[in-house]
Amino acid sequence: MYYLPEQNLHIVLGNLQESYNVYIPEKKNNTLYYTLFSSKHNSYSIDEVRACEPLKAFFFKAREKVAENYKPAASHMNTKPLCIVGAKACDLKGFKVQDYVFLTDEFSDPFYRSMREENLIISADCSTALDTCFCMALGLKPYPEKDYDLNLSMLEKGCLVEIGSEKGETVVKNNKALFQEVTQAHKQQKIKIRDRVQKHVQLNIKNHKIPKESSLKNRIKKNYKGAFWKPEAETCVECGACNTICPTCHCFLLYDQGDAKKMARLRVWDSCMIKDFARVAGGANPRPELWMRLRNRFEKKFDFFPEVLGINACTGCGRCITACPAKIDIRKVLGRLTGNA
Amino acid sequence: MHNILNPYAVIKTKVVQVITETPTIKTLCLRPEIPFSFKTGQFIELTVPGIGEAPFTPSSDPARHDEIEVTIMRVGRVTEKIHQLKKNDAVGIRGPFGSGYPLELFKGNEVVVVGGGCGFAPVRSLMYSLFAISSELKKLVFRGGCKNPHEFLYKQELIGWTKQKGLDVRLTVDKVEKKGDWNYDVGLVTTILDDLKVDKSKAFAIICGPPIMMKFCTKKFLELKFKEKNLYLSMEKNMSCGIGKCGHCRIGRYYACKDGPVFRYDTIKNNEDIWE
Repeated sequence: MYYLPEQNLHIVLGNLQESYNVYIPEKKNNTLYYTLFSSKHNSYSIDEVRACEPLKAFFFKAREKVAENYKPAASHMNTKPLCIVGAKACDLKGFKVQDYVFLTDEFSDPFYRSMREENLIISADCSTALDTCFCMALGLKPYPEKDYDLNLSMLEKGCLVEIGSEKGETVVKNNKALFQEVTQAHKQQKIKIRDRVQKHVQLNIKNHKIPKESSLKNRIKKNYKGAFWKPEAETCVECGACNTICPTCHCFLLYDQGDAKKMARLRVWDSCMIKDFARVAGGANPRPELWMRLRNRFEKKFDFFPEVLGINACTGCGRCITACPAKIDIRKVLGRLTGNA
Repeated sequence: MHNILNPYAVIKTKVVQVITETPTIKTLCLRPEIPFSFKTGQFIELTVPGIGEAPFTPSSDPARHDEIEVTIMRVGRVTEKIHQLKKNDAVGIRGPFGSGYPLELFKGNEVVVVGGGCGFAPVRSLMYSLFAISSELKKLVFRGGCKNPHEFLYKQELIGWTKQKGLDVRLTVDKVEKKGDWNYDVGLVTTILDDLKVDKSKAFAIICGPPIMMKFCTKKFLELKFKEKNLYLSMEKNMSCGIGKCGHCRIGRYYACKDGPVFRYDTIKNNEDIWE
């Protein structure tokens, strides 16, 4: 572990620009959004909480050309790889799901793969929590424990840097003079902040009566009927905001454009809440009712992924709670599923 | 720029023949620019340039590598355009996807194949593969059903099978409007499953057809005491990417595109919506 004074961190980020497109969270109207870093930048917020947009957007783009004419290979613009600064523990869990979908088994996705293999992830501890944060109910801590190249614990005038990979180690080596030794006071400051944020998230969990992760097992199978799901879906307007904002949602639509001479295949984010999502050309639809689609969303996250990957595909980031115009609250649905509410 | 294999890219393919099978069904004979092979039961994605793509299980003999045939019912946006294709038009194909039928498992056993309606397409390819290993099968039985003689897919070919030595075949239609149109059975396909002369505790049954037909055939086979693990179904879902990523064709813990579309009944029976 190293200590990196604030002005030195700025220099390191500047140096990283040579090999990476460095993205950093910046506050606009009280919300954090990722923006391209430049040395002139001085208003970024590496700590605080997760940004508004899910990190999947950098790797599995909302809209991307994935094939052209009859070209057999995937072509990629030769842009610099990505460096994401300030990714939070919940964001890293999102990668777990996306990586499983796009990188495992015989057909890995060449677009996602090249972006992920080359990226540099500099994560950071949360220094506060939103009212909608509940990561600790899903087995996470509000600070990254693994799956990063470097992790930053922001302190008053600098940060503690933890190395998580060889790639991260190289960054430290290349900027060795900028890094300093860690003092006991630094360590205590870090522990103090981490404790404070954990208490905040735990209070959220208590206030919103969010069930423990262990109690979620098989709950959807036990509450499979419309009697449970119809009231939950009553206010849903089928906008798909919960899907687009979710760091683990990965469904997409292949969409063709052009004509016989020049054609392009686009991959765009899709939403399982939309009526035609699973409909087949003949007209049969396994989920014609909205409540069935809401149930399917929960099944996918809390049945399917635990079964195939061993984790719930929810990070407790709370983005869907804020995004939903119908005020469907995943915390409350989980509470009712487990009989907690 | 660097190049990597792209699972979303298509192989340029020429339409070499268009056969009108019934008023709503056509068969396209396709010649891909590069050799293309598939296992029976696997499917391909067929692209109409600029319009979109749709999944089809080839109806031709997998032993042929120069050409593949797909038999397509006109039911939606893409299939409407497919029906307008003419000889020498260019299309794109991707695949093959999915797991296909477990032919090795059938060897040494009695096999009952049931097709219905447009489900004859994948089943024809399967039958060609089974004919090729017929000396290794204990018995091969075929049962086919359709709404009426008019819409009976591959009618002449299937009638030909009824005369094939060593093959137990019965064909039925739900209804006959004119006498003399049909010299075979009349009634739902489940009505021609009663006389199966196979050891029901060991025989395999493969069912492919519209969901309602598969539902009732499965029920029938279970009543006949076929084992759940010996029933194979072709699930029609919205397969799009073909590689288990886009999420559209999920059945419980499986994706029809990657883990199916042929499923052993016992592996999917607990999912409520399999017949939809």
